[in-house]
Amino acid sequence: MLKRLLLGLIGVIVVGLVAFCVFAWRPAIAEIAPPAPGSFAPALVAQGEVLASAGYCSACHTAKHGKPFAGGYPMATQFGTIYSTNITPDPATGIGKWSEPAFRRAMHEGVSRNGAHLLPAFPYDHFTKLTDGDVAALYAYFMTRAPVRQEASDNTVPFPLNIRLLQAGWKLLFFTTGRFQPQPTQSAEWNRGAYLAEGISHCGACHTPRGVLGAEIRDRAYAGAPIDGWIAPPLDKTNPSPVPWTHAELVAYLGTGISRYHGTAAGPMGAVPRGLSHLPAADVAAIATYFASRNGSASQGAQGDAAIVKALVADKIGSGLTYDPAARLYAGACASCHYNGRQLNPLRPDLALNSAVNLDDPTNLIRVILYGVSAQDGAPGVVMPGFAHGFTNADVARISAYLRATRTTKPAWADLETKVATIRAQGQGQ
Amino acid sequence: MTSFTINGRAVTTDVEDDTPLLWVIRDHIGLTGTKFGCGIGMCGACTVHVGGRATRSCITPLASVEGAAITTIEGLDPAANHPLQQAWRALQVPQCGYCQSGQIMQAAAMLQDFPAPSDDEIDAVMTGSLCRCMTYVRIRAAIKQAAAEMGTKA
Amino acid sequence: MSRLITRAEATAPFSRRGFLVASGAAGVAFGFSRVLAAIDPAVPGSVPASATGPQFEPTIWFGIDAAGIVTVNIIRAEMGQHVGTALARILADELEADWDKVRIVHVDSDPKWGLMVTGGSWSVWQTFPVFSQAGAAGRIALIEAGAKLMGANPANCTAKGGAVHAGGRSMSYGDIAKSGTVARQFTPDELKALPIKPVKERRLIGRETHGLDIDAKTNGTAVYGIDAKLPGMVYARPKLPPTRNGSKVVSVDDAAAKKVKGYLRYLVLDDPSDTVPGWVMVIATTYYAALKATDLLDVTWTPGPGADMSEQTLQDHARALVAKADGGILLDIADDDSTPNFTAAAASTIEQIYTTATVLHFQLEPLNALAFEKDGVFEIHTGNQWQSLILPTLAKALGVAETKVVLRSYLLGGGFGRRLNGDYTIPAALATKALGRPVKMIMTREDDARFDSVRSPSVQRLRMQFDGSGQIQAMEHHACAGWPTQVIAGPTLLAKTKKGGQYDPFAISGADHWYDVGHQQVRAVANDLANATFRPGWLRSVGPGWTNWALESFIDEAAHHTKIDPVAFRLKLLTGKGRNAGSAPNAVGGALRQAEVVRRVAEKAGWGAKRPADTGLGVATSFGQERDMPTWVACAAQIHVDRATGIVRVEKLTLVVDAGTIVDPDGALAQVQGGALWGLSMALHESTEFAAGQVKDTNLNTYTPLRIADVPQLDISFVESENVPVGLGEPATTVVGPAIGNAIYAATGIRLRHIPITPAAVLAALKAR
Ligand code: FES
Ligand code: FES
Repeated sequence: MLKRLLLGLIGVIVVGLVAFCVFAWRPAIAEIAPPAPGSFAPALVAQGEVLASAGYCSACHTAKHGKPFAGGYPMATQFGTIYSTNITPDPATGIGKWSEPAFRRAMHEGVSRNGAHLLPAFPYDHFTKLTDGDVAALYAYFMTRAPVRQEASDNTVPFPLNIRLLQAGWKLLFFTTGRFQPQPTQSAEWNRGAYLAEGISHCGACHTPRGVLGAEIRDRAYAGAPIDGWIAPPLDKTNPSPVPWTHAELVAYLGTGISRYHGTAAGPMGAVPRGLSHLPAADVAAIATYFASRNGSASQGAQGDAAIVKALVADKIGSGLTYDPAARLYAGACASCHYNGRQLNPLRPDLALNSAVNLDDPTNLIRVILYGVSAQDGAPGVVMPGFAHGFTNADVARISAYLRATRTTKPAWADLETKVATIRAQGQGQ
Repeated sequence: MTSFTINGRAVTTDVEDDTPLLWVIRDHIGLTGTKFGCGIGMCGACTVHVGGRATRSCITPLASVEGAAITTIEGLDPAANHPLQQAWRALQVPQCGYCQSGQIMQAAAMLQDFPAPSDDEIDAVMTGSLCRCMTYVRIRAAIKQAAAEMGTKA
Repeated sequence: MSRLITRAEATAPFSRRGFLVASGAAGVAFGFSRVLAAIDPAVPGSVPASATGPQFEPTIWFGIDAAGIVTVNIIRAEMGQHVGTALARILADELEADWDKVRIVHVDSDPKWGLMVTGGSWSVWQTFPVFSQAGAAGRIALIEAGAKLMGANPANCTAKGGAVHAGGRSMSYGDIAKSGTVARQFTPDELKALPIKPVKERRLIGRETHGLDIDAKTNGTAVYGIDAKLPGMVYARPKLPPTRNGSKVVSVDDAAAKKVKGYLRYLVLDDPSDTVPGWVMVIATTYYAALKATDLLDVTWTPGPGADMSEQTLQDHARALVAKADGGILLDIADDDSTPNFTAAAASTIEQIYTTATVLHFQLEPLNALAFEKDGVFEIHTGNQWQSLILPTLAKALGVAETKVVLRSYLLGGGFGRRLNGDYTIPAALATKALGRPVKMIMTREDDARFDSVRSPSVQRLRMQFDGSGQIQAMEHHACAGWPTQVIAGPTLLAKTKKGGQYDPFAISGADHWYDVGHQQVRAVANDLANATFRPGWLRSVGPGWTNWALESFIDEAAHHTKIDPVAFRLKLLTGKGRNAGSAPNAVGGALRQAEVVRRVAEKAGWGAKRPADTGLGVATSFGQERDMPTWVACAAQIHVDRATGIVRVEKLTLVVDAGTIVDPDGALAQVQGGALWGLSMALHESTEFAAGQVKDTNLNTYTPLRIADVPQLDISFVESENVPVGLGEPATTVVGPAIGNAIYAATGIRLRHIPITPAAVLAALKAR
């Protein structure tokens, strides 16, 4: 009896495995001779360029000081370090031998030309929403780049997670392929914004929390999440900024990297305004429309004005004669750039309003104090220096606690000094 | 390789990425008007402009200024005649002078944001610039004189 | 205390040589070319222009070239006092030079200049007679030569505006120099007898002027020690041992340091002069590489004395020393009063202890030196305040004759006494000797602070006895601190008492005040623990910075004890009688001049007027630095105490200064502004403490000197005077602290006896009341 049960069970497992393998197995798509760059219509290439920019492809597919799109950029994940691949049209090491269908399958289904499943660090779960036309444009763009011969670096994802077949299981659980479906109740602009945000710009990849196996938790879309040692703040109604993220603020921030009330784009967000800046203004406005509708800012107008008045008052705390060591530290190190007083100046990010000071988690504030913001990120051409070498963990904790206490009404952050030590140990990243 | 412009001149340098901009400016580019005081961003002696904003170069890693436009005290005005420099000379602000490049660069950036600064604004913005000779009374007066001068011209 | 460095000694090299009168001797006197040897702070890059044609150099102190340019040789360090300008004006005034043609150069350490030191607020006071005579000698020689060239009678010739005039004709100094015919010799006696212009004929002294060093300090072209560079030089940063004295290197591991790109090697310094025991130098091709590699270098030492020293231990030790009746050195106080010392018959006695915390110099330019060897001569390029002190030490460290070491002057990014101690030149010199190439050493701010020659913490005990009518019968002042002169300059520079006792004059000056207090005893006690743990430094105003904190707080307490208004009380004691009568030339008028500044400051500050609640006015006065060259100064501080937070807000400082003749009025004002704010900073804002043998605060994240937002209103004025010009760099520093302490008492009735005064201390005292 027992034997029969056991046999039955094994049978089920075998059938399941076979079925899974049938599901999981993907054929290779035949190699082609690299298409001549001249074979692509210039307008299509140009369209692809804009899309590649809005998808920040170069941010992940270009290593520091490396050639564009040649890969090798390391991404530290909870499952190990993953290196991006070479997506230049080099036949040997890049995607030169990929046909357009192979490219499209990669974008829409997360499967490499040779049939291997791609790791979800490549956000095919978003790119699957792209229209075939946009994918064709991207293909045209990449196939007309300068080919770079550069072998891929080996990932450090440990066994058994590195078994590509297993990725199929992940897909089975978390991934549905399918193009973007417009919401008929929403405006065309909203739908355009949603298409871009959900698809090529893959905003949820950072801003939506992920489950234990690393998949975005669909019903918590845009609730904010940790990413690359930073916190991607919530983009929904739970965003803690004292001044609402209105349509106008989103347009400014996404288009220029800096918002009058919320600060500058730093860390992984730095690449976003840079990428979106190539989109037509109407597209940036559409993305802003989409998120403004999700965060409910339209109904919070007056709240912002009150917060600004409060912020300008708070600005004066600690300037002028003070003996409080934390206030003196702030006055000496920060106020020369951040003090506003009479009116807000977007190039003097106000710390009472800044996301980093208002989030439940001090990570972003600590990171920015330690490592600053480069000229490439945030307001273009402007730098915030980093205090990592000058300040002790206690100093950074002191300033953070001081700002939290004097600039917000939110609860104090716990264990600041330990947190600073942890972030310092992680290093700046890239 | 990091490329930027300094006082209008294009520069490319292969100094290590984490080298503070201060040492690149002083030792590699050879402009010594920018000074080393504390090295931790708390004295302002090393202040230069990056993208027109006052920036403490001692804690700005070289990699951060890729593509940026940098101005030092030597490049603030082609004839060293910025209204602040004129006021500084007229009121004989410097004593040892060591902090003064930074003071002037900080003040020049401030006047863009606060064209007619009040005492409170001067206190808030200039407190980051230490003057160990304590020339503060004159710094305050010179800023106001320059602001007035720039105001009448505008 | 100027018995250490008297004006007579300062003139010594001058009189010894008489006047070297030579024509066309440009550059010869320097041994090096003038361009290399000296800096001119007025020109971009500080490289002096070379002379045009033959030079007329009637003394070593200046030359006139064929273009009429007068170049004045300055042996003092430029650290913010615009000293070259003030000194050149003394000389140019007497020379009747055209000021627009006057240049200054700061010279190297050639022995011909005599004693080279810049400190103690001595520069103008010491140089005034020397430069007056030099100018007069030049003027006379030029008149004689000019008369000859014009065929006129010298008696009918005058000098003015850089030319000799004879009737309707005139000849410029430049043309006279160009003729190459001037020759004139003065004996020392003749020199002394040279006619110095009457005060009313002065054209430059006392008139407003523009500091020659100012412009270059507004455009980035001024050159400081840290800017010195040479082709092929390497950079160095010291790896500092655990203790300032007596550390020994056990082992060094540079495995980690080797990973730094640009790291070359490390050097364990072998220092025969024992100035930098246990220092290891890290050498690299860039400064940032040296900086990083030093952090990564792993060194093991056996520490020297004081490795476990704490501020508390230092203070406790000092308290024990001042509590003892014996020990230390009793100063010779000329006592013409027969009042017996502290009799049992006294009607009342008061006694208090005052303390001051450890203070850093924190001159803004961190210590640095560039050293190299050329043709057997070691050159040290740096900013330094006391070349004559460090030269022999350098020679000893390098194992060469003193003539084989030259210090080149650069602008100082602040001195405040730190660069009187030239210890930082030694490691650069030793490194260049070991490496055979130029070495530029820069200390980080933290390195600089850790081994700063700090102002020692001090403990003072004061006692005063009154008779039945409230008259003071006797007073004692015992002061204990580290002794900078003993530790850094050595015993030969200590002052001596008639009984043969030796003490550091700089650590006690101020206690030998000008008040009539009956029998007076002043005792200087060295804090031997401080001396062993660190190298106590001369810090702006040195001893008077702490002795006056105690003295002037105590005088205020005595006034309240006898229920006399504190200003009236001081005026009553400043009688100018007996030992306090003063003497020519430096202290003419004595205590009566001190009384005058007190009277004036009280009037200007509105002494006695009604003030709002918790607001008070306090007064303090001092004679600046030394009895031998008193600068009379008084300060009134108006403050407000916030009873809720304990914050003392200084609203206004009023200062009146009598420094005799003022040579450069705006420069003098700048010195008093800076000095007063230093006093304020040390009274309320800055201090550190020793912990485990080192200062706890090494940078601005925790060390909190005065910043612009802390600056009160300042009202500073000078007493017009034709008296001998005395010092201005430090005196204002001495009075601000006690004036604030006294004002706090006036506002709230609480008495604070430790500086800096913290809000916490104020709150505690308020609570205890
Ligand atoms: S040296 Fe950069 S702020 Fe002090
Ligand atoms: S003038 Fe000396 S530090 Fe400012």
